[in-house]
Amino acid sequence: MEGDNKFRELIDRSFVEEVTGGERQLIDDHIRNCDGCKRYLELTARTIQGFREFSFTSEPDSGVQVSEILAHHSETMRTHNVRMKVRAAFAAALSMSVVGSALVYQVAKLLTMPMHFDVAQVQAVVLVFWLLPSFCSALGLFAARGENRGIA
Amino acid sequence: MTFDTTAETETAKIARGLRERDTELIADLVERCQPRLVRYLLYLTGSREYAQDLAQETWIRVLQRGSQYNGQQRFDPWLFAIARNLAIDYLRKKQRAVATGSLPDDRDAMLLVPSSDPSPFEAAARSEDAMRLARRLQMLPALYREALLLRFQEELSLAEMAQVLGAPTTTVTSRIYRGLAALRSAFEEDDSHGG
Repeated sequence: MEGDNKFRELIDRSFVEEVTGGERQLIDDHIRNCDGCKRYLELTARTIQGFREFSFTSEPDSGVQVSEILAHHSETMRTHNVRMKVRAAFAAALSMSVVGSALVYQVAKLLTMPMHFDVAQVQAVVLVFWLLPSFCSALGLFAARGENRGIA
Repeated sequence: MTFDTTAETETAKIARGLRERDTELIADLVERCQPRLVRYLLYLTGSREYAQDLAQETWIRVLQRGSQYNGQQRFDPWLFAIARNLAIDYLRKKQRAVATGSLPDDRDAMLLVPSSDPSPFEAAARSEDAMRLARRLQMLPALYREALLLRFQEELSLAEMAQVLGAPTTTVTSRIYRGLAALRSAFEEDDSHGG
């Protein structure tokens, strides 16, 4: 009986996992002389075969409906992503404007002495030719319509 | 060791398509996998309506988290794992809404097919043996039933099943053997009673 149990474990394994050719041969040889194990193998095979005899019918347009919903969802996600990217770009542009302006102002201040400019003049030049255009460009990016932003 | 290069290319293509949210590729995947996905969810939840809703939710998750699929394994087990988690969450919410008592901590314990007449298995049975199996499956613990269905109906490998069930391969194998033993003895009993 213990021997049979070992063969039955092997029979189970042959259906669930991989067995070697030698092990398969062992099963074949054994069931030729053992009715109990032969019946065990037949029952196991019938049980497993039963799973393949379930026939499931799905609704024909179910896949089409899902695809339509996904297409819509995908478009919503794309729009959301564009919005997020624009916000990030605006934040980056704004910080670059501030940092860039500060640097330009420092450089201009250094040139004030040799070129005999007034500090107020330098401030005005930096404001008009650097800070304002930078800020307006960043603002323009934020305000532009999605398709004109050049961000996919 | 041999590698199936066609399969590798296919999964890599799917991974790229999901990363890029390629709607055409996703539509192809839906067409190919939807019947199996609904079938799996139907057997988990016991309701065609819930199965359809959860399948839809699963695809939305695929779209949202597509970049998490690495293309190293087959797509189907990854899809089934998402579906299974959603089904468990759904059943947990449902149970919470119905019962005021405490919930089991084990997520797997949520997979309980509600009684329905005929059961999804009986409705799908196309032979005498399948009908008997359907009746017996309803009585089998959900964990064994799920393991048997994934192995013998969806034909997933043990490693793929481990991925779907989030359990070690040894646990998966043991569930299959126990489920198989229960069904086999039920078949034997039916035979001895002439049924």
